[in-house]
Amino acid sequence: MIEIRQLTKLYGAVIGVNDVSVDLAAGAHGLLGPNGAGKTTFLGLVTGQLRPTMGSVLVFGERPFGNRRVLRRIGYCPAADLGDRSVTPREWVTYLARLSGFGPGVAAARADDALARVGLFDAARRPCGSLSKGMRQRAKLAGAIAHDPDLLVLDEPFVGLDPVARHELVELVRAWSRSKSLVVASHLLHEVEALDAGLAVILGGRLVASGTADEIRRLVDSLPAEVRVRCGAPRRFAELACGVAGVEAVRIEGDVVIVATRLPGAVIEEAVPRAVDERLGVSEVIPADRSLEGIFGQLVHLQRGVRA
Amino acid sequence: MTVPDAAAERLVHDSLAAIRTVAGFQLRRLLTPPRLALAAVVGVFPAAVMLAVERASRGRLDGDLAVAMLYALIPEAVCMLGLLVTMCPVVADELERGTWVHVAVRPGGRRALLLGSYVAAVVWTAAVALAATVLALAVADVPRPASVARILAALVLVSCVGRGALFALPAVIMPKRALVASVGVALVVEYLAGVIPAVVNQATVSLRLRSLLVAWMGWERTLPTEVQLLVDSQPPWVQLVAVGGLVAVLLTAAVLILDRRQFPPSDEI
Repeated sequence: MIEIRQLTKLYGAVIGVNDVSVDLAAGAHGLLGPNGAGKTTFLGLVTGQLRPTMGSVLVFGERPFGNRRVLRRIGYCPAADLGDRSVTPREWVTYLARLSGFGPGVAAARADDALARVGLFDAARRPCGSLSKGMRQRAKLAGAIAHDPDLLVLDEPFVGLDPVARHELVELVRAWSRSKSLVVASHLLHEVEALDAGLAVILGGRLVASGTADEIRRLVDSLPAEVRVRCGAPRRFAELACGVAGVEAVRIEGDVVIVATRLPGAVIEEAVPRAVDERLGVSEVIPADRSLEGIFGQLVHLQRGVRA
Repeated sequence: MTVPDAAAERLVHDSLAAIRTVAGFQLRRLLTPPRLALAAVVGVFPAAVMLAVERASRGRLDGDLAVAMLYALIPEAVCMLGLLVTMCPVVADELERGTWVHVAVRPGGRRALLLGSYVAAVVWTAAVALAATVLALAVADVPRPASVARILAALVLVSCVGRGALFALPAVIMPKRALVASVGVALVVEYLAGVIPAVVNQATVSLRLRSLLVAWMGWERTLPTEVQLLVDSQPPWVQLVAVGGLVAVLLTAAVLILDRRQFPPSDEI
């Protein structure tokens, strides 16, 4: 469905996407990365808003930029909030459906259908300015699906939503992905995991990993993680840490011992209690960073062939 | 009909429908209270000026001079102001509202946005200028008011169609500074190059408007020699064809530029 070869996008001297090659088959895919990672640029290239500086992007076998055939088959819901507050969701979605080539009557019917699918039919005739963020998000989604595209592309669709609205939107998008293709960009792993989508992790404009959520987790778990322990006798703690299973490297920075290990739990459960028993003055234990940022950092290390 | 012919016909049909859609949508956006208030102020302005001049001259204002003043106030000033407000921000407004991307990912959405907004700007500005014409003629003492009204109405349409296309270029080349750029274009192209009696003024709308005014008012023989240098002696149909050609070139250039424009995500506020 999407074939990307050595894709690079530069904004002057700023790198948006850097040498990405990936094939995304029909189905659901999550594009995961922190803010500023290049996700929106990636989606801009896929949805034909931007042209590659180098490399190529093919969607349904064709270049998407300015390509009517491809654009007709794509529905895009951008991250930015709908700034046109005077228009109603029905007017907005009808407008977009008409721009997709439908006549006035058909466009209005499709808009009503799309608004009903996203659960916004009852509020469809209220100005967007009077709607909640979640409702506006639904209006944007309705605009993206009203022309029944083969590929739905969503950029941070869950930002700013309360848990209930988020759950409803997840269910909606999941239902969509059962019959059509989907690419969702998000900076939150659990949101993408909830969609049962394949994952592509992007950081600093580079694709650092791709696969299923389990594969990504296994990959991350296979990487050494750092446990930091601040204590009064760092050399002695380093000795203790070296005796713990899974430890690959230990280094001392002042009064902090940094332990690189494949089993961070073992360091905390074995070495730290012994250090306490020996009264080594343990004042701080910082466990391995398994946050998304930490995972990204480790994936970057992996991609560059750097061992922690 | 062959398959390629049918496809081409379908493309033209879809494109025209999309332009109509955008024009209707943009016109509804222009019917907001602030825009209507602006339209009222701009529409009343020429009548207020004419009233003040009529009173200052105590009814002795020359009829032809009054027509020249109406020309300067309506097809020139009102149309220029209206188009600056409606045509210049066509792309910048979409970027600021976050609606550009929704339109840009539609097939032919960019072209439809530009041309539909152009139609809306022309319709809105022409409506305001025609209302201003009616109001101003109600207070101004001009010879053959019905004839003058028809001439001014035609000049308003030519001015809106021509200048709207002229302002389309800054709107797509530098959307965030389109207003400043358009004022610059108006001053340098229309009011500086337009009054230079050389080849360069042939490519301006202002020369065509002045020439049409002179021809339709029958002023060719009464104009002072030095003023005759500022108008083109070709018949009105030549002036209209020239404006049509200019509009076609300007809009084609604007469409081609917008088709290729890329706005980084950070440009969308």
